[in-house]
Amino acid sequence: MLNNAFFHFLTLQLFKERSKHIGIIIISVLILFLLSSVLFISSSLRHSLNETLQVQPDFVISKVQGGENRATPLTWSNELLNIYGITHVSPRVYGRYFFKSKAKSFLIVGVDFLDEQAHKNLQKLIENIDIKTFLTQNSMLVGEGVKEYLAHNFYDKSYNFLTPKGEFKTVKIFQTLPTKTNLIGNDMMIMPMDLAREILGYGEDEVTDIGFNVPNPDEWTMINDKVSALHYDVRVVNKKEVQQSYEHLYNYKGGVFLMLFLILLSTFMLILYQRYSMVHSNERRHIGLLRALGWSIHDVLKLKLLETLSIVFISFILGVVTAYIYVFIFSAPLLKELFLGGQNLTSTIKFTPVLDFSVLSSIFFIYALPFISAVLIPVWRVAITDPKEAML
Amino acid sequence: MIQIENLYKTFQHENTSTTVLNNINLHIQQGECIILKGVSGSGKTTLLSMMAGLDKPSSGKILIEGEPISKLPDLFASQLRAKKIGMIFQHFNLFDHLSVRENVMIPLIPSGLNINEINQKVTQSLNLANISHKKEALASHLSGGEKQRTAIARALVANPNIILCDEPTANLDRTNSLLFIEILKELHNLGKTIVVATHDPLFDNVSFSNTIIPMQEGTIVEGTVVNE
Ligand SMILES: Nc1ncnc2c1ncn2[C@@H]1O[C@H](COP(=O)(O)OP(=O)(O)OP(=O)(O)O)[C@@H](O)[C@H]1O
Ligand SMILES: [Mg+2]
Repeated sequence: MLNNAFFHFLTLQLFKERSKHIGIIIISVLILFLLSSVLFISSSLRHSLNETLQVQPDFVISKVQGGENRATPLTWSNELLNIYGITHVSPRVYGRYFFKSKAKSFLIVGVDFLDEQAHKNLQKLIENIDIKTFLTQNSMLVGEGVKEYLAHNFYDKSYNFLTPKGEFKTVKIFQTLPTKTNLIGNDMMIMPMDLAREILGYGEDEVTDIGFNVPNPDEWTMINDKVSALHYDVRVVNKKEVQQSYEHLYNYKGGVFLMLFLILLSTFMLILYQRYSMVHSNERRHIGLLRALGWSIHDVLKLKLLETLSIVFISFILGVVTAYIYVFIFSAPLLKELFLGGQNLTSTIKFTPVLDFSVLSSIFFIYALPFISAVLIPVWRVAITDPKEAML
Repeated sequence: MIQIENLYKTFQHENTSTTVLNNINLHIQQGECIILKGVSGSGKTTLLSMMAGLDKPSSGKILIEGEPISKLPDLFASQLRAKKIGMIFQHFNLFDHLSVRENVMIPLIPSGLNINEINQKVTQSLNLANISHKKEALASHLSGGEKQRTAIARALVANPNIILCDEPTANLDRTNSLLFIEILKELHNLGKTIVVATHDPLFDNVSFSNTIIPMQEGTIVEGTVVNE
């Protein structure tokens, strides 16, 4: 059946008609590149989001006033401890620190380094750090983006924060956070909780918010209601809501791209279809001629199918590989701004490589099936008609 | 051997129908060389393409070595065409982007032969058609006569019993036309059944042709010339 003469002829066709195929391959690679980049970015973001949320507390409460978050009294955490079903209560101190120009801000995260439980959530960020030395003086750990910005402004060793009281506070840059934590850690300054309180202007018995876990998912609604009833000015947010709102955002952005992509793809398929169904095209004459020379319909379809599959595979590999390099090695310039636009320091974020088989196969099918049918349906229709046109 | 009985071909175009072949009866014996002669539009190409199974008759039958080519399923009709029939088209119909050698191997590709066996047959055929010196040249770079010889090599490569030629000299000068007739003579000597459709007067006195069949408006007219 598939004797090697057939493959010999197939490679001959592909090679000798490369000028005819090259245009289609270039457009295909472009389409595949766009599609794969978008899917790679969104699946990488979703992956990072899930990883981030995994170490986040199930619930977070804070005090609100006029719809805005206010400093939350630390005493609330004791009330939480009295509710059955709640574990891992952790008061948190964090906030954005704006530089004078207001153009840049970084996220200050206060951590109780002596409380095993509290810094468990940040474990990934601060592994390999010698906590004892770290705590001997005012020090902080900074993300790569922060480090870069500070160094650019000649703060290599330490930075002088301006506290709300109008005093300067010098904090030593102890170490940089590992690159792989960039998506969340890039614009972070991690420091002891008391230091963070001072810089952000919280009182001694105030925190930004309080996180806690509810291990039994069946109790989530009940606990949510109970905690909401504790104070008239408490806001309760759970992890699922956060996840949903993020996914909503990514899905929305991914969806916009997917729409654009589908428009592009359908135009391309239309062009292909027209090209192959053109009444007097060379293609039509070639097929008639092959049939006149003793090729069966089956032989012709086999040749065209393999020809198309080869083009599809070459384009697929090229498109996906370039997208992989673009997204995971070069961090997707341009597309990233569109995806993460509005966030600080997007330029230094690196995407964690995630190669999901379902993503790859959906890329393949979204592209390959329409392509193959756009080519083969007209070819089949020509192949089954009597090939007498070969005589003309 | 080719048997044609009560063959009709009518083309339907909306309300009008034109009868192009009108009750054709022909028996061509193995080894015969037949010249179908007639003015443009008399139905020669239509008749030839039906012999090769490239088009279907409206009624009547065509048997190629006993097999009803127009009624066979595609796979068998194609096999019959590949093994028994060699075609030479008026416009040569080569694949321009392929070389002479590659053009000639096309009929053998689906045969199941491996590439070495195919190359052997191609070489033989190129020699027979006297075009082996150009075997690596692109078809689009050939002269008319060279294209013709490539087409002949391609028609011969599967060693068919029947050779069908449609206006084989229409695009050739006199010298190349005479050369073509010489090649036909050799094929005749090899025992091939040959059918040539033409209006070229050069074919009027070819020594090896037994029969000239005049065609007119889709019928075979009386007065068939038989060379003895
Ligand atoms: N698909 C078709 N539809 C309608 N009429 C057709 C079709 N194909 C051929 N004909 C008609 O059939 C007649 C015979 O055509 P054919 O090509 O067989 O003639 P021919 O003898 O080969 O002529 P020539 O010497 O010019 O090649 C012509 O009048 C032509 O217009
Ligand atoms: Mg004709």
